[in-house]
Amino acid sequence: MLKSKKVKENIMGYGFLAPALILLIIFLIIPVCMVAYYGFTDYYLLTPDARQFVGLENFKRLFSDPIFIKSIWNTTKFVIWIIPTQLGAALGMALIVNKQRKGNMFFKVAFFAPVVMSLVVISILWLYLLNPNEGLINTLLNKIGIASQPFLTSPKQAMYTIVFVSAWQGAGYQMLLFLGGMQNIPGDVYEAAEIDGFTKFEQFWYITMPLLKPTAIFVLLTTLISAFKLIVQPMVMTQGGPMNSTMTMVYYIYQTGFTDRMAGYSSSIALIFTTMIGLITIVQRKLVKEDEDV
Amino acid sequence: MRKKLSPLKTLEYVLLLILAAVFIFPMLWMVVSSMKPEADVYLNLSSLKAFLPSLNPSEWFTTYKEVIKRFSIGTYLLNSITYGLTFAFGSIIINSLAGFAFAKINFAGKKFIFGVLLALLIVPVEAVLIPQFTIVNSLGLVNSRVAVVLPAMASAFNIYLFRNFFIAIPEEIIESAKLDGAGIIKIFFRIMLPMSKPAVATVGVLSFISSWNDYIWPLMVLTDRSKFSMQVAITTINTTQPVYINQVMAVLTISTIPLIIVYIVAQKYILQGLGGSGTGLK
Repeated sequence: MLKSKKVKENIMGYGFLAPALILLIIFLIIPVCMVAYYGFTDYYLLTPDARQFVGLENFKRLFSDPIFIKSIWNTTKFVIWIIPTQLGAALGMALIVNKQRKGNMFFKVAFFAPVVMSLVVISILWLYLLNPNEGLINTLLNKIGIASQPFLTSPKQAMYTIVFVSAWQGAGYQMLLFLGGMQNIPGDVYEAAEIDGFTKFEQFWYITMPLLKPTAIFVLLTTLISAFKLIVQPMVMTQGGPMNSTMTMVYYIYQTGFTDRMAGYSSSIALIFTTMIGLITIVQRKLVKEDEDV
Repeated sequence: MRKKLSPLKTLEYVLLLILAAVFIFPMLWMVVSSMKPEADVYLNLSSLKAFLPSLNPSEWFTTYKEVIKRFSIGTYLLNSITYGLTFAFGSIIINSLAGFAFAKINFAGKKFIFGVLLALLIVPVEAVLIPQFTIVNSLGLVNSRVAVVLPAMASAFNIYLFRNFFIAIPEEIIESAKLDGAGIIKIFFRIMLPMSKPAVATVGVLSFISSWNDYIWPLMVLTDRSKFSMQVAITTINTTQPVYINQVMAVLTISTIPLIIVYIVAQKYILQGLGGSGTGLK
């Protein structure tokens, strides 16, 4: 009796689990194993039968591959700049919208508007807006006496331009997350602070910031991880150029593996990338846990 | 009322309006540029006219007619909607089934599989694009519609989300349904799913949006133009000579409208998905 119940539970459990499990195995677990193996082979997509185990050869090659080094540097640069830009903007906008004022709904909708556009759409839209010759932005700059800027066509400016466009698109979403966190803070805390003579800035610094910490950590972590995965904007706007100044790690995985069909080489980059993301996630979880224990 | 606005308040509003303009005007420019002849788009750049559609309302939709005639926009739209709905529906079913198993059924190896699932949360899908493609290729699914929606359908994150929702549903409800003679499948579809409407809606809406916005994967697996999703079609149109800026803006606008509708209709579920408490990762 008891045994048959156990068997029944097992059948039911795996029955419910089966569709998801099968898909996860085929499209995630096996691919992860493949990447882990391919990374040590010279797999060329068009000649799968000639695949050979080459040990650490790919990794040796990678660290003398200037484009790969550049892609790590570019990705890091993007992450370092996008975090303060986007989160700062999101926090600022949340503070603005959180105040009681007429027409607040309008500002909220306005700040959120770019979020509803896909990355492909905003990339193409800004490609035209930022056109060095007849783009709207340069026309406006000329009007106020600033010379035309090359933006995406300059190796120096391209990545910063992508940072700006990405932050412009995404900040509205995180504004709403911050706003949700702020509205969870009870109003009487501020009233008490007001009575004790706290200035507005002190209220922000000693009440809003500490109580907003869980939201802020969550937003920071999700933004950090997704920033490392940058690919669509450079792919659509600059094709990684000019002079590889916007080539990112994920884009290089795509380009070496899919465009150039060097699956082995691409997998070794993917391995390094996954390890990086994994380490960051583990460190994050540790930090969040410690924060909760306090 | 106007008198009450102090200079400081007025300044505040002016600054806020400028800030709002930074966020709205690019989108506005996209829409109005699609509603005038191409020459006007460039002519108007240095005046406020840049943010007005053609002064002749009969010209407003000319570009749309042209672009629909030139490219099969209807097909791309329909493709994207089909991919989006299939992906959303499939995600709801597959992930809720698995979430239910983790929440309410005690099968052997549950702890281990759940541990694997949590580990999978870390894996960036971007890193496995190439092997995913070789697998789709060896299954003979390249350039098929199935290949667009299937690989990302089972999601560790969504399973986790459903599991957390189901765990909160009291065991007594299931027990009493069992006493009434309901089988496990009936309990799942008649009690569990209806009781977790917010989770169902959140997963459905977010899956639709992510499928709609997805670019790299459909670009990799589709070669046949008639199967292109809107996002892939946009970049193709943007590189098909001759490129007319007003036509490109029309296509961008068309591809954004469905998402605007989704965001308006489903706004309360969109934030729940990632920002809501209780669903966040730990």
